[in-house]
Amino acid sequence: MRDTLIILLMKIANFILKILGKQGGNVLGKIAKKLSPNILSTFNINCPVIAVTATNGKTMTNNAIASMLRQAGKHVICNTEGNNMETGILSMFLKTCSLTGKLKADYICLEVDESYVPIVFSKIHLDTLIVLDFFRDQLDRNGEVESLILKLEEFLKTYQGNLILNQDDPNVVRLGYANPQNSKVYYFHAEAYCHATKEITEAGEGKFCPLCKTRLMYDYYQYSHIGKFHCPNCEYGKQESYVTASNIDLEGKEFIANGIPFTMQSESIYVVYNFLAVISVANLYHIDIEDVQKALSTFELNKGRLEKLTIQGVPTIINLAKNPTGSNVSLRLLREDPEPKELLFVLNDKIADGFDVSWIWDINFNELGQVQRIITSGTRAYDMAIRIKTSGYPINIIEAELDLNKAVHKLYQTNVKKYIIANYTALEPTRKEILTLEKELGK
Amino acid sequence: MKEIRILYLYPDMLELYGDYGNLQVLKYRMEKRDIQVIIDRYSIGDPKPDFLSYDLIFAGGGADNEQSILAKDLLQYEEEIKEAVRQKVFFLLICGAYQLFGKYYKGVEGNIIPGLAIFDYYTEASTDRTKRCIGNIVIEVNIGEKQTKVIGFENHGGQTHGITTPFGKVLFGNGNQFKDTQEGFFLPHVIATYLHGPLLAKNPEIADYVISTCLTRKYEEKMDLLKLDDELEEKCRKQLLVRFIPVEKQ
Ligand SMILES: [Zn+2]
Repeated sequence: MRDTLIILLMKIANFILKILGKQGGNVLGKIAKKLSPNILSTFNINCPVIAVTATNGKTMTNNAIASMLRQAGKHVICNTEGNNMETGILSMFLKTCSLTGKLKADYICLEVDESYVPIVFSKIHLDTLIVLDFFRDQLDRNGEVESLILKLEEFLKTYQGNLILNQDDPNVVRLGYANPQNSKVYYFHAEAYCHATKEITEAGEGKFCPLCKTRLMYDYYQYSHIGKFHCPNCEYGKQESYVTASNIDLEGKEFIANGIPFTMQSESIYVVYNFLAVISVANLYHIDIEDVQKALSTFELNKGRLEKLTIQGVPTIINLAKNPTGSNVSLRLLREDPEPKELLFVLNDKIADGFDVSWIWDINFNELGQVQRIITSGTRAYDMAIRIKTSGYPINIIEAELDLNKAVHKLYQTNVKKYIIANYTALEPTRKEILTLEKELGK
Repeated sequence: MKEIRILYLYPDMLELYGDYGNLQVLKYRMEKRDIQVIIDRYSIGDPKPDFLSYDLIFAGGGADNEQSILAKDLLQYEEEIKEAVRQKVFFLLICGAYQLFGKYYKGVEGNIIPGLAIFDYYTEASTDRTKRCIGNIVIEVNIGEKQTKVIGFENHGGQTHGITTPFGKVLFGNGNQFKDTQEGFFLPHVIATYLHGPLLAKNPEIADYVISTCLTRKYEEKMDLLKLDDELEEKCRKQLLVRFIPVEKQ
């Protein structure tokens, strides 16, 4: 079948699904790909394609880039979380394209799963690729980080477009060396913030120089293995920065990048890094800086991503954590918060979470400060409770409750500030429980 | 005050599956009993450790591709490690480390990585790279005078052969090979196993066995360990055993 005909058929199918009130998910993409494996390459694209990949932060950064461009009056096509593999992107294209397969936009912004970057961009011309970080994920714990990097390196060897890299992740900087012919490599970097440390406090990757295998030296660690590093033996880690953040004041939710002040809605160092990627894109495409400031200052994270809620008048921060680094981002906020607080950690081990929960031992639970009570829940509530207990917290402040509804009710028996961390399949049910509680008591 | 000295081998390379948690558990359970714990780390490039000065030597699991670099470094201490095993220093070896103490590891391409050959078993990668023994696992072990069930998580492509003294009998999961009846390797002062989780977190009886074996050897007297509050561990075990094993088999 001709690709143009397939696109037309899928448009009709999408139209019918819409009438039936159905979303269709990735089905359209899956069928189209089956009918024609290379169909992704037949779309008519006349604008720059900007893609973000990383272990953590793809969704946030991609959404922030799109909202920054929209603030500047651009028409943007953008995929959403969960649609970051080939068939997901294909489905999104099929839904948004014209009957002839034309994608009308000023920019196309895509978050792409790390392992799908080479596949997707062998079929679509890529103008700019942003790589934020590589962390260990709970699903791929067999040296997968290394094999992902090797795959990306292979792809980048012949890539000629812009490459925006996190200068403070040694595994990401490696990618800047993949194609010595490509001069369009741009690094973003952040100066130490007030809770940066001399020693690594959270499990991290990339301890050795990829060029000469010498152990890397760090001036400081911001979080996990993200920080200012250099190789004592060669030039690795001494690149020039394209965008540099300074005067990072998380309490005041502000920082300066290349001399320009920015404000944000969040107090996390992790958000600053993602925003530096956005600012790098803005500079490359000459976006008016006022539009960037405005977009970032009002940018709201997705539901359940460092989300701030008030439940029964009690301030609550809820965050998704699929891996140790995600958990550490939340615990960092908790640790840096001088107020008394309580923690709820919901851990499931369903298929989408990965059955192996041993990654929780890579989370840094040390020195949680004024934490008064810890409740664990989810299908692995006891594993989590044992993990936390072993870090030395008194057993009488730790409570494991398999039943999520009961756990949430117990949590809100006091009016101390709450921090909630939930893994993948636990996040939505947990959010739902606390929002239901808010409604119940609102009556 | 009593003191236990632990040598942690290759902490920066064998650290994929939270296995360090085993040391956290041991430290926690010893400090609750007023036993001082010293943990020294050794990795590539560090000065040669005095293996015989330790009561416990621990190593965990790592990425397959790092195994060969590590094996080369480890082999230079072959004699010292053999002597430590002879003198009954306790060895707790998980996954990759378990394999390295055998005769060899044969990779997917047929490449042989020689092991320390301290024990007679050997490991061969499964011929299909995508096939691994992955999942929750429960084994039954006889340790000390007790029989107990050990709960963990296995994730290995390697198939280990030639075991005559296994750590346990498989009740749920794979074991040393696909659908095996045996798991791990055991001597009274050696536990070598594929179980992550980490192993000792949900199995306090095993943790206490390791501790009391080390103490008995060092202080040459049998000591009763103070009982700890293991309510969370007991509830955890109960919950998971019901999930993994049909009631009639329990
Ligand atoms: Zn170097």
